[in-house]
Amino acid sequence: MLSGRQQVTGNINSFNAWTRYNNIINITAEQDAERDQILQWLSPLEPQQRHEGVRTNRLDCVGNWALETDQFRKWCDVQDGCAELVLFYYGNPGVGKTYIR
Amino acid sequence: MIDNLHDQARGRDIAVVGIYCDFLAQQEQSTTNILGAILKQLANRGGIPEHIRETYRKSKNEFGHRGLRLPDIVEILKKTITPLQRIFVCVDALDELTPKHRRELLKSLQEIVRISPNMRILLTGRPHIDDEVMEYFSKAVRMPVSPTQDDIRSYLKMRLGVDTTPKAMDDKLRADIMRIIPEKISEM
Repeated sequence: MLSGRQQVTGNINSFNAWTRYNNIINITAEQDAERDQILQWLSPLEPQQRHEGVRTNRLDCVGNWALETDQFRKWCDVQDGCAELVLFYYGNPGVGKTYIR
Repeated sequence: MIDNLHDQARGRDIAVVGIYCDFLAQQEQSTTNILGAILKQLANRGGIPEHIRETYRKSKNEFGHRGLRLPDIVEILKKTITPLQRIFVCVDALDELTPKHRRELLKSLQEIVRISPNMRILLTGRPHIDDEVMEYFSKAVRMPVSPTQDDIRSYLKMRLGVDTTPKAMDDKLRADIMRIIPEKISEM
């Protein structure tokens, strides 16, 4: 059995741990709230959601030709300061510029 | 394509961001919101940079919490992008923005690239915006998109696999579909 003093110390310790824990939670919650506000302030758009949709619906392997062209590879690897920093894929509606589904 | 770039970027200090333009969202897809969405993806990826936090707090206190304006966001983007080894920005269906926003976006990207040559831009769109793209990026590499015969065959196979009236299908019809449609499309 614990002595009275040990018990009190134990209680204080767990109380300290408990407040520390709560402080951490408060700070994290505050930071998270600010994080969400900042993200919303930066833009109301959610392009990542649209990307998830495209990823789910697209047909695998289709359009891989585009990844295997010299132009695409070169664009990925070209050194900074080179002129060809922009790649423009053009085509009529429905040819599969976004994806094929 | 975005996923392929992501795979390449894994474990390196390379960011990949994507924007999908949409006729139906023309109102909210302003240049400011689009560039903001690029920042949002960067912040989601690596946490919110301190300078963005500071600008946010300042705008909250000093300006009666006004929204971001285009010049602000261009400056923030430049600052955020510079430390990265490389950033790939993919903008899909550029032609679906309003002409005003499209020009503003191209102009802003042009300005950012000038300061941050570590940025690579991939654009897609219908042929009629070609002149505009070339106006801002005269060295852009242009690539025509048309599905390959293999792509069309994979697509047809998938669609036939989810046919809602399979009883109406027989081997001959299936063979005809798989032969004639890819031929016709490549003649287009």
